[in-house]
Amino acid sequence: MKRRNHISLRAGLLFALPAAVYMLIFVGYPMIQNFILSFKNVDVYTFSDTAKQSFVGFSNYTELFAGEEAILSTAIINTLIFTVISIFFQFFIGFGLALLFSKKFKGSSFFRGVTTISWLLPVTVAGLLFKFMFASKGGIINQLFMSLHLTHAPLEWLLDPKLAMAAIIVANIWIGIPFNMMLLITGLTTIPEEIYESSKLDGANKFQTLFKITIPMIRPAIMSVLTLGFVYTFKVFDLVWVMTKGGPINSTELVSTYAYKLSFEQFQFSKGAAAANILFLILFVVGIFYIKLINDEEEVM
Amino acid sequence: MKNEKGNWKFFIIGAIIFVIFIFPLYWMVVTALKTQVEIFQIPTPLWPKNLTFDAFADQLSASSDTLRGFKNSLIIASGATIISTILSIPAAYGLARFKFSGRKILILYFLMTQMLPSTLILTSLYIMFSGMGLLNSYVAPVLADATLGIPFSIIILRTYFLSIPKELDEAAKIDGCNSITSFTKVMLPIAKPGIVVAAVFSFVYAWGDLIYGITFITDPNKRPITSSIYNYVQQYQTLWNATMAFGIIAILPVVLIFIFMQKYIVSGLTNGAVKA
Repeated sequence: MKRRNHISLRAGLLFALPAAVYMLIFVGYPMIQNFILSFKNVDVYTFSDTAKQSFVGFSNYTELFAGEEAILSTAIINTLIFTVISIFFQFFIGFGLALLFSKKFKGSSFFRGVTTISWLLPVTVAGLLFKFMFASKGGIINQLFMSLHLTHAPLEWLLDPKLAMAAIIVANIWIGIPFNMMLLITGLTTIPEEIYESSKLDGANKFQTLFKITIPMIRPAIMSVLTLGFVYTFKVFDLVWVMTKGGPINSTELVSTYAYKLSFEQFQFSKGAAAANILFLILFVVGIFYIKLINDEEEVM
Repeated sequence: MKNEKGNWKFFIIGAIIFVIFIFPLYWMVVTALKTQVEIFQIPTPLWPKNLTFDAFADQLSASSDTLRGFKNSLIIASGATIISTILSIPAAYGLARFKFSGRKILILYFLMTQMLPSTLILTSLYIMFSGMGLLNSYVAPVLADATLGIPFSIIILRTYFLSIPKELDEAAKIDGCNSITSFTKVMLPIAKPGIVVAAVFSFVYAWGDLIYGITFITDPNKRPITSSIYNYVQQYQTLWNATMAFGIIAILPVVLIFIFMQKYIVSGLTNGAVKA
């Protein structure tokens, strides 16, 4: 018995090792490097000359927050707004659709199935599609608004700082709804039919059933959807890069797009690394929360 | 479903939601089939009056970036899928079937890597690949894209292996298989559907990647399709019919995968995200 345990210990580790090593080389190591880089002064001038690179302590971080051209605080606030509003709508619409499409009626599985496609599309293409729909000239959304007399002249959705955020949020909600819907449907299917039947016998109305039975029963799925949704939305890059590139006047600048610009447009690699670390820090806290959550729920682990 | 009336009510609500939700995709197709004149008409027709395939023909002509981008993406996404699948299968099996110290930490490690923002490792990867002379080669995005597929594949495959009864391993052992042969001869064939789902997701992730593609490859001849379409739009701002035709070609593999594998994708997605 002892010997067998020993073998299985080695075998299990051996099976998992190649993938773990790969992820260490291409994710773990770059993460550590990124951490170190954020305390250095690597930019376009010192990039190829390691002799000129030196450690500068926290100055990249302080400059990002307090420097004259620094917009990291704006980017964090923008990212929070983008994430919270996106999740709010994704979740409620997704939940509504989950309740609807978990019922069996003609076409329900077809409707539900085809709806999921928005989640699988390359985000770049989805972003361009919404960029077109929000275009001031030829955009269908302006036409719709004008025919409903909500506005008299075409709105400059992507060029007006106040509207650009709304446009990218709408696009992001469209992409994210299926994810919310599917996870919640999976949660709903775990509720035994008998519970609904007995609550009906007890005379519960639809609202009571929803709030007293459905929601408490699928609480784990709801928490998963919300935390995972937060993490996925908080790190969105492609969609915003394609639709607004963070503009106009930083109004849609997210931490991810800002970090990218610092590194690959201004070639301030160390500053870009510092901004990315801030993004990581925020996600890490939420990630821990998520992992604790699934750990509590799944005894298999 | 018990009374017909309720059924129809749900059908109508479902159909309305479906139409609204799917409208952007419809609009992409319709725009690709329109002339520029009709696109900018007010009100723009909901179905092209002069239906034309010119935009597609332009995109498919030999001089365009579209097919080249398509080919590049095919190479990059296939490469990433192969690496990701080959590494994930044994890892998922090891994590599902054996109890060993550090197992839990490894599972958490893979879970965490799934949540990392690409920007976090992008700069260091860029410096690393630049030092290795890998920029502007397919290898750089292949290696980076594989990291997107691995955690997800491990998570869904582990769930899959967990669902296969343990007795099968034991029976294989009695028949004289060791850990490795029982894995290759017994488990792999049974896990095939799970493996296909994992591979499909790795492919879809790699196909959709923009950030690694635009950062590691600046050579227009080697760009993946997401990066080509991004650059195309920068150049031809309002040529929307052409852009939409380009977009349709870019999403084609994903749409085909979706049509043929919808059932597996939905189950894979929910397993990967909820069950960990």
